Amino acid sequence: MAAKAISSPVPVEWYPSLAALMVSVGLMLTASFFIYEATSSRRSRSLAKEITTAAMASVFLGFGSLFVLLASGVYV
Amino acid sequence: MDVKKQTVSDLDSTSSSRRRGVRADGPPDAMPPSLQTLTTPTLLLLLLTATAVSCSALPPEDGIRILSAEKRIDLTGSIVKVYLTLKVENAPAASDASQVLIAFTPTEAQHLAIVKATRAEGKRKKKTYAPLSVEASDLATTALNGARLYSVLLGTPLKPGEATTIEVLYVLTHSLEPFPAEISQSESQLVYFRDSAVLLSPYHVLEQVTYIKTPSNRIESFTRVDPTSRAGTEVKYGTYKNQAPNSYLPILVHYENNRPFAVVEELVRKVEISHWGNVQITEHYKLKHGGARHKGVFSRLEYQSRPSISGASSFKNLLARLPPRVHSIYYRDEIGNISTSHLRIGSLKSELEIEPRYPLFGGWHCTFTIGYGLPLEDFLFESEDGRRYINLTFGCPLLDTVVDDLTIKVVLPEGSKNPQPVVPFVTEKHLETSYSYLDVVGRTTVVLKKKNVVGEHNVPFQVYYEFNPIFMLAEPLMLVSAVLLFFVACIAYLHMDLSIGKSS
Repeated sequence: MAAKAISSPVPVEWYPSLAALMVSVGLMLTASFFIYEATSSRRSRSLAKEITTAAMASVFLGFGSLFVLLASGVYV
Repeated sequence: MDVKKQTVSDLDSTSSSRRRGVRADGPPDAMPPSLQTLTTPTLLLLLLTATAVSCSALPPEDGIRILSAEKRIDLTGSIVKVYLTLKVENAPAASDASQVLIAFTPTEAQHLAIVKATRAEGKRKKKTYAPLSVEASDLATTALNGARLYSVLLGTPLKPGEATTIEVLYVLTHSLEPFPAEISQSESQLVYFRDSAVLLSPYHVLEQVTYIKTPSNRIESFTRVDPTSRAGTEVKYGTYKNQAPNSYLPILVHYENNRPFAVVEELVRKVEISHWGNVQITEHYKLKHGGARHKGVFSRLEYQSRPSISGASSFKNLLARLPPRVHSIYYRDEIGNISTSHLRIGSLKSELEIEPRYPLFGGWHCTFTIGYGLPLEDFLFESEDGRRYINLTFGCPLLDTVVDDLTIKVVLPEGSKNPQPVVPFVTEKHLETSYSYLDVVGRTTVVLKKKNVVGEHNVPFQVYYEFNPIFMLAEPLMLVSAVLLFFVACIAYLHMDLSIGKSS
């Protein structure tokens, strides 16, 4: 019986670099979100743009924090 | 009528074997004659039930007899290992024999950790050994001496007139009694070992010999049952010829044994599987020195300066055999990290040498925790039916230790269904739920418990479970939604007009 070994979907060695990359991209998107919020007036704001930036930032920060946890040895 | 006849003949055989048994170890005709008549009704009743129960099992009076028996008892460690080589023959007039019975005294049965049997096939150089299954037999032969029987199930039945060789290994724990029970730091540890000079067997034994191997030349005393001889570290009992079934000749060997009597009173191994690429194992040990109790003071100075004679029976380090590619190892207790440990990583196995905070003398305890991570791909596999299974080693990674109480907890990832442990021996199993990082419904945990575990129990076992890989996304999506919630709150706050004054 040739059993197939199961490994992680992402190679374990990539976790630290993935964590750094995704968290920094996420933080940049967060920054752009808040810059947009601060610089635009209430009337000129577009809700679609706000939601898109927020969603992208949260995806990057969410996965980024997961990889931070995995890279630091907290295997969830 | 038929039943009556059978019981009468059975009665006759038991009484005759009892007479033989008496002749072997006591004065003949010591039995009061009234006993037989007194016990006849109860025996009749017992035998009626016994014949009803043991219809499937063969009675020990079938045609099997042991042509030659060799018993090698290894007393060099704290665990007693006995290697039995039995040459078994089935009588020409008998029917096919599918099992061979091995007898243990009640004390032996209580301390018995494992029984393994193999059957040698072929001649000389082409000899192959086929493992045989061994199970506790409920056959009632307790009438004579309370012996517990284990049956070795022969793969192919032994035909009448045929002979075969069976090799049996059994391991006894806590069977060496320290005497004196208390020793001081400078004394050496002496222990008693009790057994029988002849093989306790429900069969007729034609020829037999027993060898006892001790760790050092120092043997204080041993019972003589002629012919008995001693050469160096070995005591030989026999050759004895023509022993009746169930004969027992108690012997006592008093010898020096300074090997570490490491006993793990309780071991809890927790295995956490993460599909993100790691198997984390945490082991909580409660260790004890199970030898002669320490008496008087402990002088660290004397212990350090004269290690050869001081604290000979104590031990200060233990070796754990871990899988290869182990990483993130820690060794600590309630106080914190214990720095006295060494790790050697190899391609086949890793060795972790640990030293407790203090050397352990008789009766001293010590608790500690070992943890390590292992790569997922070495242990987790997908079977052909699509289920996943983890393949781990049972038992305790510490070498030459007895584990009184072993608990293995396999924590499966969240979302696993239908866990099914496959263990090659009898264990107590149950399921529970445990919570860890980022859990909502909790993780299904398979708990396996076993008492009296020795190194021979370090065999692979599997836990099968069903898992849908989509559940792996649960944790990142939780984190994503938490961050998104924060952004939505920010948007909502900035879009709301919370000022008291008129908005322009």
